[in-house]
Order: sequence, then structure tokens, then C-alpha cells
Amino acid sequence: MKRRDMLKLAAMTAALLTTTALLTTGNAYAQDKKWKIGFSQVTTIEPWRAQFNKDILAEAAKHPEVELIITDGEDKTEKQVADVENLIRQEVDALLVSPKESAGLTGVVQQAIDAKIPVFVLDRNVDTKDYTQFVGGDNALIGRAAGEYAVELLGGKGKAAGNVVEIWGGMGTQPAHDRHNGFHEFTDKEPGIKYLLDQQSGDWKQDQAYNLMANALKSNEKIDLVYGHNDPMAYGAYLAAKDVGREKDIKFIGIDGLPNEGVQMVNKGELTATFTYVTPGAEGLRQAIKFLNGEKVEKTITLPTEKITKENAAQVLKDNGL
Amino acid sequence: MTALKLLSRTKLYWGLIAIFLIGVLGSPMSSKGNNIFLSYGNLLDVLRQVSTTGLIATGMTAVIITGGIDLSVGSLMAICSVVCAMLLTVPGVTPGVVLGVPTVALVALCLGFVVTRFIFQNLAKSRAGADLVRDIRLDGIRGLVTPAVVGVVLCCLSLWYLLPQIGSKFGVPGVLLVAPCVGLLFGALNGFIIVAGRLQPFIVTLAMMVTALGIARLTAGQNNAVLPVYTGSNATADFEILRSLVFGVIPMPGLFFLGAILIYGAVLRFTPFGRYVYAIGGNEEAARLSGIAAGRVKIATYAISGLLAGIAAVLYVAQYRQGKPDAGAGLELDAIAAVVIGGTSLMGGRGSLTGTFCGVLIFGLLSNILQLHNINSNLQLVLKGMIIIGTVLVQERNAGDLLAYLRLPGGQAAHKETTAAKRPSQETPSLNLGGNKNETT
Repeated sequence: MKRRDMLKLAAMTAALLTTTALLTTGNAYAQDKKWKIGFSQVTTIEPWRAQFNKDILAEAAKHPEVELIITDGEDKTEKQVADVENLIRQEVDALLVSPKESAGLTGVVQQAIDAKIPVFVLDRNVDTKDYTQFVGGDNALIGRAAGEYAVELLGGKGKAAGNVVEIWGGMGTQPAHDRHNGFHEFTDKEPGIKYLLDQQSGDWKQDQAYNLMANALKSNEKIDLVYGHNDPMAYGAYLAAKDVGREKDIKFIGIDGLPNEGVQMVNKGELTATFTYVTPGAEGLRQAIKFLNGEKVEKTITLPTEKITKENAAQVLKDNGL
Repeated sequence: MTALKLLSRTKLYWGLIAIFLIGVLGSPMSSKGNNIFLSYGNLLDVLRQVSTTGLIATGMTAVIITGGIDLSVGSLMAICSVVCAMLLTVPGVTPGVVLGVPTVALVALCLGFVVTRFIFQNLAKSRAGADLVRDIRLDGIRGLVTPAVVGVVLCCLSLWYLLPQIGSKFGVPGVLLVAPCVGLLFGALNGFIIVAGRLQPFIVTLAMMVTALGIARLTAGQNNAVLPVYTGSNATADFEILRSLVFGVIPMPGLFFLGAILIYGAVLRFTPFGRYVYAIGGNEEAARLSGIAAGRVKIATYAISGLLAGIAAVLYVAQYRQGKPDAGAGLELDAIAAVVIGGTSLMGGRGSLTGTFCGVLIFGLLSNILQLHNINSNLQLVLKGMIIIGTVLVQERNAGDLLAYLRLPGGQAAHKETTAAKRPSQETPSLNLGGNKNETT
């Protein structure tokens, strides 16, 4: 009886001491770094986000003076807010945050600004203007690039003709609207271009795009081009066309251009082209370090997009070590 | 031996203290040499972060003590957050108004009726001096007319208060009335179906979880994944109060959480209602046979659980400046985990709100510590799961049984003791003590 409780007590104390010791040694290791930079990421289990983290880690590896802390919001606003609060308590020298959504993160970003921590907002903005810098892609810009190329593929300016299937991302999301509007800025000028589907959403997912496309193929004899709001959806459409043996007659355009996703698909000839939606990971960290070193930074940085086709796909893969 | 007894009585707090000590001793230091974990700001962060889960867990505790479970709380919170955000930001007749205002009227009507009738009944009982009489027949005036009048009056009062606000946007007291009422109604509906339909709470609340999520999405509308609330520009600036520090000392959500724990704790501990809750969890049939209106008590616990989810939703909206249909997704599981860590038995009949309070704090401090040390988030999930199991094993004092099962030293003795204690014929004084300890709650 007594022995059992003593044992328990001893075991608990031992566990307590070991944990403490482990935790303290963990801390001791990063003492000689000059800058401590915190990065609050939304989630890590999504291809684009994973690439985002990879980019920022690769950039951090080039700067030995920087200690980078990455937190994972587990795709929940509450968790991400707690993460940022935590980073504020750790007195990071700069805070990078890629918000899950604007409204939810505004309060805590303001809190960081009040605590005199320079804040770099990445990819999605918050509803305050007091942050140090915003770094992100421009979906309308990418949509325009895709639209321009689509017109070129279908016969060139003024002469372009063909039936186009557009597969939307999430219906209520800003990126989908921007990608749609940018694309149509070019294609709407061409009287020869017809649109076959009326605002059909694949919700960014390959399987849903597959089903959409399978239906479209049944009801339309002639489809010339598919524009997917992201690569997985364009690929889903490709698979649907392939299953009925019509993939050679159709051109597929996607967006995002992740090395291990869209670029691979282009390289294999499955997609005709993809347009990179570069993650702001590397650029964001570079800018933060620049700022910490006393240089001036611009308020907004818009990341450029790159067209990836069969010609440069292999090179891009090589650059990314694939 | 008394010292050991004390140790086991207070075991709830030991887990909390151990976690706290790990936090303090292992905490990283700030650049100025301060202990980050112990800093007032950090502890306030923890209190604020656990408040939502805490409120939900508070309601959940009573439900679990009756032997039930409430899986719908997360979705109820989602509905209430959507309604709350909509009332705050959009003027005119919105789905939020359509859902919210009639609900308040209905709740006012029912509450007025039930409470007045309850008061008359108790008066009659005390006059008759018969505590154990299950139902005293009230005459028409006291049994039906007066309660109905009170209900209608309350209903009219609430409408008189709310209807003028529809044209403009709702104020803070308005949403603090509407959102909890919506939660209360859905919670009561849960309870009613469980009791009247004699169904398993698990399946009823599971169905409610799905239904409520659908209603939340319908209310929010297809194009609004998120309803943002900007205090000062599209909503009243007063709303900021709900996320501020009261007197610069304690965060408002924390105050709500502590208040709920204290009030509900007192109710469970000191009132007949509280004793009924435990009695039902211990043995529902026996409770019913001894004259407890088990059905009503159960409906009440589910209704209160919904009510607290509604309050949590308002605080959520204030804290994260938004209402949305996926607010509170998965929250029911966090709350259940916290309740069980706090020593409440899922079988019912045993547990306390002090325990839940500790459970919630253990959970919150744990996340905070793991985060302060920047432990890989995937590893964090693994550690959290392991710590939940570990804590529950200690709380339920089955750690010895596990060791014995694995035939490890230290476990043998424990196993013998427990098995011996379970056989009354072999009880010896010293072993009996072990047996008793196993049953202390």
C-alpha cells in the first residue's frame, strides 16, 4: 500500500524532473542566434502550404543568424490566434503570419503591433493597415496570364475560337473570383470563344472536377480547352477526358504550379500549362530579415507569376531538386 | 495514513500542480530574463484560450454526471455564433432575426410558465409539509392560469425589448439575450427527445450535431463562409468589452467561465437539483422510483448545456471577431476530454465541476507549454493524446491495474489489493483501506 504510493510518487517526480530537464536543454540550444523570427502557418497538410513551409525553411537555412519558429494553426482560427499570442509572449523579433482568414486574425495581429513587434502578413491580408508589410500573390494577375495564354492557344488575339470549360474553385472564395475575372478579361474579348459550363465549382478538389468534366464530356461533342482554378482540378478534368479517350483533343490549363504537383503534370504532358502561385515563404522571410537589419521595406510586395509549359518544366523540376 | 488519504483526495489538484511546475521550471526565459510561462500576460492568455472550451465543459459535466453525453455543443455554438454575428452586423430582417427573436419569445414563454408553476408547487409542498410527494395537484389558477400569464408577460417583455432593435443592429445586451436562448432551445430539444423518445443521448445529440450544423450553414447563407464583426465599423464598439480585460486584471471570457463554474458548481453541490443529477447518474431507475422527476432534470441539464454553448458562442464572436458555421467544430471532444481528465466518470453518477475546472486548465496549460517550447505540432498531438491517457489512468486510479496486467513490479501489490477489496469475504482492515480508497470520488 505504502510502497505502491511511494513508487508512484517517485515515478511522478522522476517524470517531472526529466521533462523539465529535457525542456530546458531544448531551450539552451538556440541561444547564439541573433534574430528570433516567429511564423504562424495555417496548416501543414495541404500541398501549397507544405511547399510554403519548405520555401521558408530553405530560406532560413541560408541565414545562420536567424532562429525560425514555425507554428501550425491546424486549420483553426482559434488555434492560430493562440499560436500568435504565444509567439508574442516569446518576444520574437519579427512575426510572420499567414492568416486563415482576415477577420479572425486581425485582433491578434493588432496585439502584436501594439507590442512593438514588426508584423509581416503573408498571402492573405488582415483588416488593419498598421502591419509592416504584406507579401502575397495576385490571383487576378495570374488569371490574366492564364487568359492571355488561353487566347494564344485557341488561335491568337482576334481569331481565337473554341469551347472552354472553366472549373471554379470554392464558390464563395476571393481567389476563385479573382482567377475567374482575370481570365475573362482576355477571353471575353474573343467572340469565337464559348463557355460550356455556367459557374460550376469543383471546390479545389480533383475528384469533384473529375465528375464535373465527365458530365461535360457527355453533353458536349467538342471541348477545346479546360481552365481549372488549380492544378488538381485541371488534372481531374484531364483524367476524365483520358477515361473516354479524348484527352488529346483538349488543352488543360491549371494554376499553382507546385514543383511536385502541377509542374510534374506539365512535364508529363498531362497539363498544357500551369501558372505558378508562388508561396510568399522565401520572400517574406527575406523581407523580414532586411527590415531587422535596418533597411526600409515597401508596404506591399506582389509576387510575380511564371508560366510553366513543356519547354521549361524540366528545368523548374531540376531547380527544385526533383 | 491520513496524509496519504489527503494526497488521494486532492489528486485532482496534483495533476494541475505538476503541469504548472513543469511549466515554471522548464519555461524559456525572455530576453530580459523573465520567466515567460509565469508572466501575467501568458497566464491570462491561457485563461482566455480555455474559456470557450471551459464553458462548454461546464455544461457537459452535468450532462455526463447524469450518465448522458452531449455531442451537439460544437454545432450549437456554431449556430449561436452565426446568429450573434448576424444580429450585430446586419440590420433588418435576416435569417438570424427569423431564428433568434421567435426563439427568445418561446423560451421566455416556457420559462415563465415552468418557473412560476415550480414556485407554486414548492410553496404548496412546504405548506403540506410533504417533501417526498412527487406531484401536488395545483388548482387551475395556480397551476395553469398564473404561470401562463407570467409566461405571456415575459414573452411580451422580451419582444418589446427586441423588436425595436431589428430595424437597426442589435446591441450587446440584445445578442447576450438571443444567442444563449437559441442554445437553450436546441439543448432543451435534445433533452426532450432523449427523455420523451427514450433514446440514447449519444445518437440524439449526434443527430442534433449534424442538424444544427446544417441550420448554421443555412442561417449564414451560401455566400458567407464567415461573418466578420468589426467592432466600431460594422458592429457596435461596445462589443469590444466582451474581449477586454475587466479592470485590466482578468479577461472577460475568463470571468464568464469562472462565474459559470462557481454558479453551476454551487447548484450541483448544494441544491436538490444537484443531488438529483448525481442520483440519476448513479441509478436512474432508483432515482425515479424514489420520486425524482428524472426526465425533467435531464432535460434541464441538456438545456443548460445548450445555454452555456450559446454564451460561449457570443464570447467566441467577440474574441475572434467573426461568427461562422465551423466555429466550435470538434469542440465537443475537447470538452469531453477535459471533463474526463477532471475525474468525472463517463458512466455517470460521479464527478465534480472543480474537477472539470482542473481538467480544462490542465488541457490549456499543456497546450501552452508545448507551444512555448515550439514542439513540432504533429508531435504535440501525439503528446497530448498520451498525456490524456496518462492523466485519466491516474485520476481513475487504474494505473496500478495496468501495471499488474503487464506484470510489472509495483503493480502486483496493487492488483492483489484491488481484487481482494472487491471480494467482501476476504476483507481485512488494512486491505479494506485500499478498497475504500478505490471508491473515493
